[in-house]
Amino acid sequence: MKYSVTIKDKSYIVEIEDINARPVIACVEGQRFEVIPAANPAECENKPEVKTRTPEVKSFDLRNNAANKNVNEMTAPLPGVVIELFVKAGDVIEAGQVIVIIEAMKMKNSIRSTRAGKISDVLTNVNQTVAHKQVLVRFE
Amino acid sequence: MNLTELLPELLKGLLNFTLGNAVMITASLVLIYLAVFKEIEPVLLLPIGFGCLLANIPLAGMTAAEGIMGVLYDAGIKTELFPLLIFIGVGAMIDFSPLLAQPRMVLLGAAGQFGIFGTLMLAIALGFPLNQAASIGVIGAIDGPTSIFVATKLAPELLAPIAVAAYSYMSLIPIIQPPLMRLLTTKKERLIQMDYAPKPISQKTLTLFPIVLTLVVGLLVPDATPLISMLMLGNLLKVSGVVDRLSKAAQNEIINVSTLFLGLAIGATMSAAAFLNWDTGKIMLLGLIAFVLDTVAGLLFGKLMCVLSGYKINPLIGAAGISAFPMAGRLAAKTANDEDPHNFILMHAMGANTAGQLGSVIAGGVLLAIVSKLV
Repeated sequence: MKYSVTIKDKSYIVEIEDINARPVIACVEGQRFEVIPAANPAECENKPEVKTRTPEVKSFDLRNNAANKNVNEMTAPLPGVVIELFVKAGDVIEAGQVIVIIEAMKMKNSIRSTRAGKISDVLTNVNQTVAHKQVLVRFE
Repeated sequence: MNLTELLPELLKGLLNFTLGNAVMITASLVLIYLAVFKEIEPVLLLPIGFGCLLANIPLAGMTAAEGIMGVLYDAGIKTELFPLLIFIGVGAMIDFSPLLAQPRMVLLGAAGQFGIFGTLMLAIALGFPLNQAASIGVIGAIDGPTSIFVATKLAPELLAPIAVAAYSYMSLIPIIQPPLMRLLTTKKERLIQMDYAPKPISQKTLTLFPIVLTLVVGLLVPDATPLISMLMLGNLLKVSGVVDRLSKAAQNEIINVSTLFLGLAIGATMSAAAFLNWDTGKIMLLGLIAFVLDTVAGLLFGKLMCVLSGYKINPLIGAAGISAFPMAGRLAAKTANDEDPHNFILMHAMGANTAGQLGSVIAGGVLLAIVSKLV
């Protein structure tokens, strides 16, 4: 099924295999996206990460889509202290969603998921010092 | 005594008020506005702005040698006490471990000092004598205390415009640097991810570093010793872990009080007579050029390292090789992160940034040594 979507005056043809499947598999300009729509669309307005998601998911998918298909864990891209944790085991998250905020060199760094999926384990806590490449979460 | 003789005495403040005073008071209000309402470097711009306001109230006597501003200037600026006390605090806030983990970042800290020498040449071409040109060049160290330290020794008459240029451009780094970063690097370069997997730095190394560096730099560039040793003293207080109270005092009370008095005393030198001339305009322009040259040189060197390393080094970290710790390091990391939300080059950028801090102090000392021999 093809849909025409207009974002900021530019039209995109979005091809969706099955609108009722979760995640929704959508193809835009030859790139494949996995999208999990919010249960209640009204809630979206109140979530800043959801609002800004579209361009970031895209830049991620440009590079990493193939590479991260089989990655079933997320590691810390830099050493620091976890100051905020946004996910728990069982959460279904999207690629590009912020998982944790790691503070390093007094700068807050939002660590975003490189893939979509359901989280099976969260291996870190708030205030924990994490090393580079330390596993933060595992996916099912 | 009749009334006609009394009137001028009562109105003497207004009668001595000049157009120049009005211009400078407007400038001071702009500085205070930027500090209060835009929160641009408020810790510095607020006292500088207020000092400037005081300096342009005629006959108040505050900037005279026995007035409070005169006393502060003689005690803290002329003697170079305030910039050195500030450096104890800066040292206690710096973490050198990203640099110690990646010693090759030192090269970027050296490249980021090109602006000093480039600006010095330009200043000479514009007709400034060598001592003044060197002081203007040190704006390219992008480090307030170093600029003030060198200018006080070489050209104290230019201290006010140099300090104002150094501090105001420092607050504009987030506006000056990112367009240059994007202009001089390709998207492919900005997307380069860098692994950060150094061996952990031991407590012993961290503690020895400030001591060894003070000795090495002190023996090689004696003129840089006051600055580097105070920076290293602050760092030693922090990393030794045994004088937590002193480390906290350096990071808070010592640096705060010194910054307040330094800002006031510098601001108080901005009287209309001393500040409103073409040289100030030229210095502001040269200061901007110094910031741009530093960033460009750092980025170009970053690109060279990128090619030599086989595209493993993200050239953006070159822009962090200036001083301006930690702003420049954060900006380089943020620019890479904006391009790709999964790219974190913060630790590398901070390594380059701390190297830039050391580089600017050493470059300032080298310049001081050469120029004081020549003039």
